[in-house]
Amino acid sequence: MLRMGIQPRANWQQMAHEYGFHFHTMHGQAYWDESAYYQFTLEQIERDLESPTEEIQQMCLHVVGKVCKDEELLRKFAIPEGFWQPIADSWRAQEPSLYSRLDFVYDGKHPAKLLENNADTPTSLYESGFWQWLWLENNVDKGKLPKNADQFNSLQEKLINQLKVIAHYYGLNYMHFACCKDTDEDRGTVQYLQDCAKAAGIDDYFVFVEDIGLGENGDLTDLQDQIISHCFKLYPWEFMQREEFGLASIKANTAWVEPIWKSVVSNKALLPALWESFSGHPNLLPAFFESDLPKLKHKDLQANKWVKKPLFSREGANIEILQANAAGLTSLDHANLSTSGPYGEEGFIYQAYTPLPKFGNSHTLIGSWLVGDEAAGISIREDESMITQDLSRYLPHIII
Amino acid sequence: MTDTSSQKLKQKRTRNIDLRSMRKAFSLKPITVGLAGLLLSACSSQREEAIVFNNLDECVSANPSASAQCEVAYEGALAEAARTAPKYNTANDCEFEFGPNQCQQVRTSSGSFFMPFMAGYMVSSLLSPRPYYQPMFTSYSPNSPYRYRWIGADGRDFGGLNKKRYSVSKSVFDKKPAVTRTMQRGGFGSSVRAKSAWGSRSGSKGWGG
Repeated sequence: MLRMGIQPRANWQQMAHEYGFHFHTMHGQAYWDESAYYQFTLEQIERDLESPTEEIQQMCLHVVGKVCKDEELLRKFAIPEGFWQPIADSWRAQEPSLYSRLDFVYDGKHPAKLLENNADTPTSLYESGFWQWLWLENNVDKGKLPKNADQFNSLQEKLINQLKVIAHYYGLNYMHFACCKDTDEDRGTVQYLQDCAKAAGIDDYFVFVEDIGLGENGDLTDLQDQIISHCFKLYPWEFMQREEFGLASIKANTAWVEPIWKSVVSNKALLPALWESFSGHPNLLPAFFESDLPKLKHKDLQANKWVKKPLFSREGANIEILQANAAGLTSLDHANLSTSGPYGEEGFIYQAYTPLPKFGNSHTLIGSWLVGDEAAGISIREDESMITQDLSRYLPHIII
Repeated sequence: MTDTSSQKLKQKRTRNIDLRSMRKAFSLKPITVGLAGLLLSACSSQREEAIVFNNLDECVSANPSASAQCEVAYEGALAEAARTAPKYNTANDCEFEFGPNQCQQVRTSSGSFFMPFMAGYMVSSLLSPRPYYQPMFTSYSPNSPYRYRWIGADGRDFGGLNKKRYSVSKSVFDKKPAVTRTMQRGGFGSSVRAKSAWGSRSGSKGWGG
C-alpha cells in the first residue's frame, strides 16, 4: 500500500461537469483529489480487505438475528419499541439489502480493523463506482498508468445486478428514489442509483424526503400524488423511526431499500454486539456499551485510549478520544481529539482506539463496499485530522 | 501478467460502463432545450409503433379482425386510468386543469374525489396475444399547458390531438404508480432540520398537485 503522486487529468473538471459530478469541491475545499492515488497489491486487496469484508458481513447478519429476538439488546440499540416487530418481520422475510460500506483502519501490513458499518445511507458511492473507475480508464488510455493496472471496484456492475434481484423479489418494474433537499452530494448519490436502476430495467421516480405525503388510505405519496410502493431512501431509519410519518412508513406497505432490519447494522451498538459474539476476531476492535462501563474491570481499560461514539453519529460528528486511567476514562483536553455535532442523546458506545495510518501528512481511511453480501470495492479518504469527517478528501486507487 | 485472458478473468473492477448513459450534459451548450428527452431517446434503441384511439369503436373499425384485442386493451386502459389518473378534491380543481365537463366523480369508503375521463388509449402490438396499452388524457381548459394535447397518466406530453401515430419506447407502456389523494405532507425531515442548518424550501408544484 503506497501513496503515489500523479498529474491530474487536464480536463477533469470539464468532464465532471459533463457527467454531472457536481460535488467534487464542497464548501470551497477540494473533495475529489487526483493529485495522488493509492497503490495496492492483489494480495492486500483480496486477503486483507475483500475476504474480511464478506466475513464481517456474515458476522453482522448473525448479530441481526440475535438482536431481533432480544428485547434487552433492542433497548441497548435504542430502537423505538414500535419498530421491533417490523424489524423482526423484515429480517424473517429476508428483505434484500442493496449496499453498505465498512470503514477500516488499514496500513497494508496489519489486519484491517473495523471502525463502523455504514449500512443504511452510505454516500461517496458515485465517486467510487463510477468516477474513480473513469479516472483509471483515462490514465491507462493516456499511458500514465500501466495497462495491467486494475482497481478493486465492481460496484456499478454489482449494484445493477442487485437492483435486478430486488426488482425480482418484489415483482416491481418501477421504484421511487428519495433524499433530502439542499444537498448536492445526496442528490448525486441518488441520481447514480437511479441511473443504475434504469440500467437494470427499472423505471425511476424521484421525491424529496421532506415532500413525501400521506394518502387517504395510509399510502405514502410523491408530489404527483403517486403512491410510493417501493422506495430507495437515502435517509436514515433512526430518523424515520422518530418522525411523524415513522409508523406510517411501516403501515403503508411501502417496501424500503434499505430494508428496516438494516437499522440494526447501521447502529454503532453493532460494534459492542459484534465484540460480544466474536471477541478476539482479528478484524474487530474491542467495544463496549456505555451501560457496561461500570462492570469493566480497571485492567480492561488501563493504558488504553478509547473512542466514545454516539449510537447514531454520522460523518464523524460528536466523536471523542478518551484516556483510560485510575479514575476511569477521562477526556484528553485537545481540540484535535474530539469533534462537535448534534448527536448523542440516544447514548454512546466505547471502542478501542487505533490510529489511522499516516501517509505524508494525511490520515487515511479505507471504505470497503458491500453490495448485498458481496464485497464490491474500496474507496479511500484522507484527512489532516485523526477523525475523518465529511470534508475529508477522496482519492482513487489502483491494484498492481 | 502477460496472459491477458486470465488477467481479464480476475479483473477486480466493473468490466464495462456505457459512458453515454452516464453523461448528464453536452460538452458545448446546445441551442435548443428539452435535453433530457433527447439524451434518453438516443440511448433507448427499442421503438414500438403505437396508435392512439379515441374509443373502442375506432379501434375495432380500424382492426375488424382484432376486435377482441381492441376490447382487452380498452378495458385494461380504463382500469389503468382509474388507478393512475390525477385525482382532485373538487370538481373545480379538476376542471381547472382539464376543462368543463371533463371530470368524473369517484366515491370511495373515505369520501369522494374527481378525476379526468380517459380521452383515448394508446395501443401497440395490437395483433399480438398481449397488446400494450395505456390510457391517454387531454385537456380542454385554457388554463392548462395540456390543452388539445395527448397526455399520459404521469403527465407525459405525447403531442397534439390530431397526431395519432407514434413511435415510442416500449417503456411508455410500463405499469405506472397508482395515484391517491394526499392528506398531509412533511412528516419526514424534522430530524435533519433539527440536526443541521439545512433549511427546507417548498418543492416545485407537480402535476395534479
